[in-house]
Amino acid sequence: MSMYQEIRVTYEVISTILCFILVWFMIKPYLFTRDRRYVGLPLAFGLLGASYFFSALIYTQLSFFRCDMLWFQLVARTFAFVFLAVTYYFSKKPFKTSYLLWNVTFSLIVVAIIASFLMVIFSPQFDFQSYLNASPYVRIFIMICLIYIIIHVLKSHMENPDSTTLLIPLGYILLAISQYSLIIWAIDSSMFAFWGALALRWWGLAIFLFVTYLTFYRKGKRQKNENLTPR
Amino acid sequence: MKISRRDKLKIYGDLLLVLNDESKNGRIVLTRVQVKINVPFDRLKKYISELRELGLIEDETSLRLSEKGKQYLRDYGKVLDFMKRMGLEYQ
Repeated sequence: MSMYQEIRVTYEVISTILCFILVWFMIKPYLFTRDRRYVGLPLAFGLLGASYFFSALIYTQLSFFRCDMLWFQLVARTFAFVFLAVTYYFSKKPFKTSYLLWNVTFSLIVVAIIASFLMVIFSPQFDFQSYLNASPYVRIFIMICLIYIIIHVLKSHMENPDSTTLLIPLGYILLAISQYSLIIWAIDSSMFAFWGALALRWWGLAIFLFVTYLTFYRKGKRQKNENLTPR
Repeated sequence: MKISRRDKLKIYGDLLLVLNDESKNGRIVLTRVQVKINVPFDRLKKYISELRELGLIEDETSLRLSEKGKQYLRDYGKVLDFMKRMGLEYQ
């Protein structure tokens, strides 16, 4: 393995670990409320982690199915952001009226994920060249999902202005800029855009981790001191 | 069935929050709790019995939160805060 590959594998493995740590926290709203709309959150970060894991496998070059892995990471990443966007969309809807629609949407996404993975495995059309062609379009789609999420979280912040709700929009904005930088890299092979995209991804994920820490650990200690006063 | 369960989670959380706040002022007055929670009195009594059965309050006369109730309230506060920070609505 070259030094570049070693750096990339390390980078992707750390991204994977960050995402799987986030899954642990993202599942809490679902576990507590048992409201299926929030199951999209841990699934999204789980798929994101899986996509980074596939990326790590690609750079180790241990995989005999490198092309399949490229497609796997693209599919996993795309559906991760689809899950996030759908979760945010349904969180605003009244539960009683949107329950059936959420179930249908959720089922369709799951079927689409399974179908996409099966197609990648069994269809010979999913080669390296088609990956290169599809990748910028998929990244544009991911950016659209992220822009929708950013608008949603910023709206929530505007409705109840609070300094604690500002970090998450920033996290999503960094992830969106990261995707944009990758599109730039795909167009003009700018290494600045490429390394910038990787750095921004880490910053984005680090912000999510910081917010979970603030909520579940620092707040927990403070609450004990204040003898239970959740806001 | 699922719908009522979800609604109850929020009602339980809000009710425990009010009971906890009221207990700081001394004696818990049920009518004041009713006004804050905004539910009919008979339903409030039913929820309080359910909280007792779940072990979230010590008894139906003092209405003080048990350790389990305090833990539930802490978790409820954390999860709501997390969802608020994530920009998700809980309705």
